[in-house]
Amino acid sequence: MSTTFNRRLLIVWLILTSMTLAYVWMDHTVDQNGTLRASTVVTVSAIVIALIKVRIIFREFMEVRHAPAWLCRLTDAWVVLIAACLLGSYFVGSAVS
Amino acid sequence: MSLPKMKTTEPLTMPDPPTGSRVSRLAWNFRHHPKRELWFAWWVMVIFYQLYGVLFFFVTRVQPPPSPAWDTPTVVRWFDDHDFGILAGFGVVFLVAGMCAPMNALLAYSMRRMSVSRLFAYSYLIIYSLAAVPGMLVMAIAMIVAALRPHRDPELIHWLYDFAFLSFSGTMGVFMIGSLVWMVAILLDKNRVFPKWFGYLSLCNALTEVVVAPAWIFHRGAFAWNGAIAWWINMVVFVLYTGVFIVLLRKMIQREDFRAGPLPALPDKGEAAHSDSVEAVR
Amino acid sequence: MTNLAGSRPQLEEKPTKFVPGQPDMWMFVLFESLLFTGYFSVYLVSRTQNEELYLRSQAALDLRIGVFNTIALLLSSWAIARCVKASREGAYRPALINASLTILFGVVFLVSKVLEWVKEIHMGNTFTSNEFFQHYFFLTSIHCIHVLIGFIVLGVVVYQLWSPVRRSQQLVETCATYWHTVDFLWVLIFALLYVVR
Repeated sequence: MSTTFNRRLLIVWLILTSMTLAYVWMDHTVDQNGTLRASTVVTVSAIVIALIKVRIIFREFMEVRHAPAWLCRLTDAWVVLIAACLLGSYFVGSAVS
Repeated sequence: MSLPKMKTTEPLTMPDPPTGSRVSRLAWNFRHHPKRELWFAWWVMVIFYQLYGVLFFFVTRVQPPPSPAWDTPTVVRWFDDHDFGILAGFGVVFLVAGMCAPMNALLAYSMRRMSVSRLFAYSYLIIYSLAAVPGMLVMAIAMIVAALRPHRDPELIHWLYDFAFLSFSGTMGVFMIGSLVWMVAILLDKNRVFPKWFGYLSLCNALTEVVVAPAWIFHRGAFAWNGAIAWWINMVVFVLYTGVFIVLLRKMIQREDFRAGPLPALPDKGEAAHSDSVEAVR
Repeated sequence: MTNLAGSRPQLEEKPTKFVPGQPDMWMFVLFESLLFTGYFSVYLVSRTQNEELYLRSQAALDLRIGVFNTIALLLSSWAIARCVKASREGAYRPALINASLTILFGVVFLVSKVLEWVKEIHMGNTFTSNEFFQHYFFLTSIHCIHVLIGFIVLGVVVYQLWSPVRRSQQLVETCATYWHTVDFLWVLIFALLYVVR
């Protein structure tokens, strides 16, 4: 039984790591020879991917999967709240500048 | 019916509480209630914080703080706009500053009630007594001096302005260490005086106080003494934290049994109504 | 609610629902992440007001170091998750090994972060250089303070697992919850400081 858990954790780690590596590719497509370029798509994707990773960490590493429903809903609500704050700050800031 | 549950350690022979008018109950409580000093300290704390808020935010209007980036004429104009408020408000602050003493004593008392060493309580008292000097009084003095003579050299007024605000914000480190002392006491405590989540909230508060340290360096931006991070977020957390500990201290006093072991939980509603009738101070 | 540790064998299909660790720690986790979100929002808003400056300064950061840091912390989270599961099954030696691995990866993260700071400072980018670096040094420093506290917390885990008279599963889970918070906060910081354009 413990090997099932350990394999699951390993897979989770692999997914998280590949999402991290995806960032390198993302930035690569936007930057030109070391000069960084602004890109709303990259920014929004970076934030969304980070929050997906956070949710995976909540559910798998922090065992929210096995937690009572209120904790599952609370952590999900938190991810949504953080997304709203971050994306909101970015878009409101962009609109104002 | 006579007092419930006030058992062995009570040496006094209290007369029975009267069941008459509110005034007579109040008088009885004033003279005989075993927790009267604790409740007194708690009310002093509540009143102090209300006064502090009103005086600093509405009378003197030094909070939210003005900018460190202003030039001298702007600063002088700010003092002109605020002069009466500053003189009156900080005058009152000088009068009521002593209210900090029962307040800090109550917090130290909470640490005495814990299973941890009394060193925590004593350290906390010393730190917070000292912290009030630069953290509140120096600012009050500097501001009043600046506002007292509007025709003073503008450069001197600007100097006093910097001195006041840096003293107020920049000395946050002392308060932070005090918070940490309380936090460690709460986390180590076996008497369950406070819930553990409050210990963790104290850590959050202490961390937002760390964040004020860069105010010494910056004239503008998020880390200046009026910055989004160094002031606004810090203040929101602090207000929340203060509200929480005021409520928790109230619960502590209600639960207090003057013994040395774990603090009992609050009695359920029926019994609470009975023991609460003893305190007509509300 | 406490965990029914060891009272029945692990069944993947229907495990009992439990709150991992003390619920108090969860309150801390949620509050702290909200606090950091506040800091991140301030960063993002000031970024949008000054995009050129931020992009130029961001070029001084090496994305690969950020990736390395993230992977180090993900490994540490993975290790502490394994530790919690091992300790729940009563396998305390593997649990201790995993706890030590967590500390090791945490140290790797810390060392590489310090080296990165030194590198940036040598390049002339300090806390006071410009707004971007204010946020960079601030966010990474306050995160490192959490990492340092995390080492104390992991020390508690090791202390608990060491002797049979202790081994409180709830305490181990509580500490693990804290460490995972340190990890996911870094995931967000990394995305915002290094990746966002």
